[in-house]
Amino acid sequence: MPSKKLNLRKRYELLTRGMGWETTHQKMDDVFPYDTFEGIKITDWDKWEDPFRLTMDAYWKFQAEKERKLYAVIDSFAQNNGQTNLADASYLSAIKLFITGVTPIEYAAHRGFAHLGRHFRGDGARIACQMQAIDELRHQQTQVHTISHYNKHFDGLHDPFHQFDRVWYLSVPKAFSEDALSAGPFEFITSISFAFEYVLTNLLFVPFMSGAAYNGDMATVTFGFSAQSDESRHMTLGLEIIKFMLEQHEDNLPIVQRWMDKHFWRAYRLLALVATMQDYMLTNSPMSWKEAWDVYFVENGGALFEDLSRYGLRMPKYHELATAEADHISHQVWSVFCSLGNATGFHTFLPTEEKMAWLSEKYPDTFDKYYRPRFEYWAKQQAEGTFEFQKGLPQLCQVCQVPMVFTEVQTDPMQISYRVTEHGGDKYHFCSDGCKDIFEYEPEKYVQAWLPVHQIYQGNCGGATIPEVLEWYKFSPDDTGDYIGSRDHARWQEWKGTDAMVKQA
Amino acid sequence: MSYEVTIEPLGVTIEVEEDQNILDAALRQGVYLPHACGHGLCGTCKVDVLEGDVEIGDEASPFALLDFERDEGKCLTCCAKPESDLVIEADVEEEPDAANIPVRDFTGKVVKIEKLTPRIVGVFLEIEGDEVEFQAGQYANLHIPGLDTPRPFSMAQSPNEKTILEFDVALIPGGEGTTWIHNELKVGDTLELSAPYGHFFLRTSDDKPMAFFGGGSGLASPKSMVLDLLESGDTREVILYQGARNLEELYYKDLFEELEAKHDNFTYVPGLSGPDIEPEWEGATGYIHEVAKEHMKGKFEGYRAYMCGPPMMIDACITMLMRARLFEKDMFMEKFFSAADAEAESKKSPLFRNI
Repeated sequence: MPSKKLNLRKRYELLTRGMGWETTHQKMDDVFPYDTFEGIKITDWDKWEDPFRLTMDAYWKFQAEKERKLYAVIDSFAQNNGQTNLADASYLSAIKLFITGVTPIEYAAHRGFAHLGRHFRGDGARIACQMQAIDELRHQQTQVHTISHYNKHFDGLHDPFHQFDRVWYLSVPKAFSEDALSAGPFEFITSISFAFEYVLTNLLFVPFMSGAAYNGDMATVTFGFSAQSDESRHMTLGLEIIKFMLEQHEDNLPIVQRWMDKHFWRAYRLLALVATMQDYMLTNSPMSWKEAWDVYFVENGGALFEDLSRYGLRMPKYHELATAEADHISHQVWSVFCSLGNATGFHTFLPTEEKMAWLSEKYPDTFDKYYRPRFEYWAKQQAEGTFEFQKGLPQLCQVCQVPMVFTEVQTDPMQISYRVTEHGGDKYHFCSDGCKDIFEYEPEKYVQAWLPVHQIYQGNCGGATIPEVLEWYKFSPDDTGDYIGSRDHARWQEWKGTDAMVKQA
Repeated sequence: MSYEVTIEPLGVTIEVEEDQNILDAALRQGVYLPHACGHGLCGTCKVDVLEGDVEIGDEASPFALLDFERDEGKCLTCCAKPESDLVIEADVEEEPDAANIPVRDFTGKVVKIEKLTPRIVGVFLEIEGDEVEFQAGQYANLHIPGLDTPRPFSMAQSPNEKTILEFDVALIPGGEGTTWIHNELKVGDTLELSAPYGHFFLRTSDDKPMAFFGGGSGLASPKSMVLDLLESGDTREVILYQGARNLEELYYKDLFEELEAKHDNFTYVPGLSGPDIEPEWEGATGYIHEVAKEHMKGKFEGYRAYMCGPPMMIDACITMLMRARLFEKDMFMEKFFSAADAEAESKKSPLFRNI
C-alpha cells in the first residue's frame, strides 16, 4: 500500500479555505455588508461542509471535455440536418418558450451566484457559489449555441434576451429571477438552489430532456445531459445551505420557513409554463404534468420534507393546493396562449384528436369535463372561419405575473380565483392566497412590479396597437399566430411531403 | 464468485459479488459511499481505482465520467463491477476511532441462558481457546441451524471480556431465529458465529459528553459501551437513557444503579412507557425520547448521541435531538430491524447521509 495520504476533504480544505482572512483596515461588516441584514445568524462559518470538492484546475478539465462532446453532437446534428428528424415542427414552440423563458434564468442565476461568490463571509461558501456562477453561464451559452441551429430554419428564435425583458408572458420568469436577485444572499440561494434547483428541478428537466428525446431533438438531449452532470453539485449546495442555516442558530428557523413557503410558491407558479409545455407543446409527451408532479413533488419532495421536519420545518404553505391544481393548470395556461396566439413569440395550435385522447386518459377527472369542450368549440370556430384571438389584454397577478386564469380547483373549478388587498390607498390583485401572502409580507417590493399589461396601457411599450407592441418586442408577424398556415408549417410540409399535424375538421 | 474491495481512506474491506455494483455492496455492508442518482448520470459516486480492474459499466454517462477520467482510472461505483480484487479511494471521512478489526469465524459453547425479562433472554457463549476482539457497540452474526441467513446480535458485555460473549435476545412473534433461541437452545450446545461487524462504536478521540439511548434488547450495545467507558476510567459526562414498557422489562436496572453510585460522571435515567406500569414505579414515565427531553430541558447541544433499538424509537430520538440542537454528525445509531420493519422503511431523501 502507498503511504497514508490526506483524504479528499482535507486536501480540498487546504486548497480552498484560508484563502480569506479577517480584515483589519476595514471592518468585516463593511467588507461583507449583505450577509447579516436578513437576520440569518451564522456563529461559525468554519462549520460549512463543502457540498462538493472540485478544484478550479479539475473544473476546467471537466467542463472542457463536456464542451467538446456537446459541440461534436451539435455539429453533427447541423451537418445531418437534424431538424428534419423532429417529430413535428410544432414541437419547436416548446424550444422557443425554453430559449426565451428558461435560458435567461440561467444567466440571471449566473449573476446571482457571482454576487454571492463575492459577498458570503465564509470562504467555503464563496468558492461553491463561484463555481456555480460559472456553471450557470456555461448552461446559458450551451443552450444558446445548441438552439441557434434551429434559428437558421425556424421563426421566433432570434432575440431571446431582448424579449425576456419585454414580452408579457416572459415577465413571469423575469419577475421570478429578479425577485431572488434583489433579495439578500441567503434568500437568493434558498430560492434558486433549494426551491428551484432542488425541489422543483426534476419537474423542469424531465419534461425537457425526455421530451426532447421523445421528439427526435438529440441536440437538446445532449445539452440536457451536459447540464445535468452539473446539477448534482447545485442540488447538494441547495441542501447544504439549508442545513447550515438551520444548524447554525435556532433563530434562523422561522426565516427559512418563510422563504420556503414563498419560493416554493414562486417557483411553482413559474412552472405553470412548463406544465403547459409538457402536456400541449410537445408532440409526443413522455409523461403528463400530473404524473411528473406526483412523482417528483408529492413523492420525492414529500420524503425530503419528511426529513426536514426533524429540524422543525413543515411542508411549504399551499402545497395541497398545488397538488389539487395539477389536474388543471396545463389546460388553463394553454387556453390563455391559444386565445392570445397573435401575441406569442411561438406558434399556438389546438390539440389534435390524438392529443385530446391522450389528455382524456391522463386527466380522467378534468379534461373531458372542463377543457375538451373549450378546445372543440375553438376548433369548430376555426373550421367555420369565425375564430378570433382575444382583443383585450388579461389582468395579471401582481406577484407571479401570470394572467388571472387559475381557478378555485378545490371548490369550483369554473370560478376564477381572485384575491385582492389594499396598500397605500391602491388595490392589488392576485391569482392565489400564496401570491397575496408574498405581497403582504413585503408590499413595498411588489408595488414596484413591472406588469406588462399596465405598461402597455400606460404607453410604455411601443404604442397603443398590437402590431406596435409586437414590433417593440421584436416579434415579426411570422413569429406569432397559429402554427397551421405559418412559415414553419409550410417549410415542414415542404421538407417532409407529409404533415403529422392533423388539421381540425 | 465474489471479490474483495478495500475502500480507502477507511481501510474497510467489503465483499462484492460478480454482477453486483460496488455501491450496492458497500451500502448493504454498512459502508456509506457518496451517491445521488444511482444510475450513472450525476457523477456523485465517482472514486479512484488504486489497484485492480473494474468494468466501468455502460450506464456511466460520458458526461458524468469523462474520457480522461476513465484513462486516469476513475469509475462510478453505482455502475462499476469489479473484475478482480480492488483498492478504491472514495470521498469519505476517515474514522479515527474505527479499529477496523477483521471479521473472523468462531465457535461458541452456551454456558448460561438467563431470563432477563419475560421476553428477553441473555445467552452467554464461551469461545474456547480463542478471543473475540471487537469494539463496544459491534455485533456478531450467529448461524442458527436450519436457517439460511445468519442473525445479527450485538455483544452486550464489555469488550474487555473476550471469551464469554453475551447476547440479549428478545422474542419476536413469528421470528424464526429468536423463537429457536428461546425454545430450542440449551446450555452445552455449540453455535457458529462470525464477528465483529458494524460501524456503531465509541468516538472517544474528542471529549464531548455522551448520551446513550437503549430501547428493549437494544440496551445490549449501550451497555457494552458504557461499561467500556467506565472501565477505562474515562471521566467525561455519560448519560444512559433506558426505555422499557414496564418494570419487568427494565433489565440490568440494579447494575446501572450500582455504576451510578460508583461513578460521579455517570447518570442513569430509565423511563417506562406503559401501558401496564407497576404501581411501585416512581421513576420517569413516557417514551424514552420524551423522558430524555424532559431530563435535559430540551437542550443537547455539545453532546454526542448513541442510539440503539427499534426503528420507531430511533426515529423519535433523532427528531427530538435535532430540535434540541444536536445534529447528524454527532449522532450514531444501530437500528434493530425485524423483517417487518425493513419492509416498512419509507422513501428517503438525500438530505442526511447516515440517518
